[in-house]
Amino acid sequence: MELAEQTKSSYGLTREVKRGIFKTGDLRMSAGPIQPKSVQHLRRNPPIAGEAEAIAKAQGGDAPAFETLYSLHKRRVYSLCLRMLGNVAEAEDLTQEAFLQLYRKIGTFRGDSAFSTWLHRLAVNVVLMHLRKKGLPQVSLEETLEPSQEDGPRKDIGERDLVLSGSIDRVALERAVENLPPGYRLVFVLHDVEGYEHNEIADMLSCSIGNSKSQLHKARMKLRDLLRSGQRKESIA
Amino acid sequence: MNNTRDQQDGISMNCAEFQEMIPELFESGTNVSNEAHALECENCAALVRDLEYIASQAKLLLPIHDPSPAVWDGIQSALRTETDNEAPAPTGKRS
Repeated sequence: MELAEQTKSSYGLTREVKRGIFKTGDLRMSAGPIQPKSVQHLRRNPPIAGEAEAIAKAQGGDAPAFETLYSLHKRRVYSLCLRMLGNVAEAEDLTQEAFLQLYRKIGTFRGDSAFSTWLHRLAVNVVLMHLRKKGLPQVSLEETLEPSQEDGPRKDIGERDLVLSGSIDRVALERAVENLPPGYRLVFVLHDVEGYEHNEIADMLSCSIGNSKSQLHKARMKLRDLLRSGQRKESIA
Repeated sequence: MNNTRDQQDGISMNCAEFQEMIPELFESGTNVSNEAHALECENCAALVRDLEYIASQAKLLLPIHDPSPAVWDGIQSALRTETDNEAPAPTGKRS
């Protein structure tokens, strides 16, 4: 779908028919600053030199200042989009869309939360809106693997221990996250990587807090399987 | 499957029951490795260690990806269109 069409239509999108995927299908896009719990985010969002001045100027329509903000935050926004989507082309399209929304909404930023937190939430909403618009099973929060594989007790005594082996590096984990089923990946990225709380995730995804917790656990279990599988392949090679 | 006696609660807990509790235990901030079952069952203790390790490593996943220059080009193009039209316009797909 052309991004132009997607963007135009998505503004009016408030209630996708995604029942059974998201519980209510109610989009929680906010035009103004949203204040997620700040404690964890402050840890990840220290003040950036020159940012405050750039924000003020960009709010006044200063184009170079907006470019400065893009330069400061493009990596984080794009990384978020890429991790949530697992697709480079889509991630770049939505990074563009997120910054266009930033351009339009920056006047509403009042500094109630860190700018990066605010922008981050805006980007998350752009991605979620996109996923809902596509109507995908890939955002289903009901995804499950084979019950016998996922729900039963683990019987892997004697297998290499990830902690003891110390062989799981960032690249391996990145790759494993990419290979998570999309619904699991979404919750895992939001909670474990980005630091959102379950109540925030439940609000964003219109699901229950319990569902968010359950999906996170399943995501971690699946990651463990993926990482162990990678270890076994390495040991064979 | 291992069956152990949870000394604190005085109830029997097996691996399946323990693993079912793991999500809530993590969320409660409990030191899951010190749970009675984990102390007695190496299988579940290894599982707990792995899950803790995965969660801790995830926090270290920093933004490492940069978008291609085409993204900024697309933003500029869309903003020019908006400015030219002097009204919000649909965004153009990046070139």
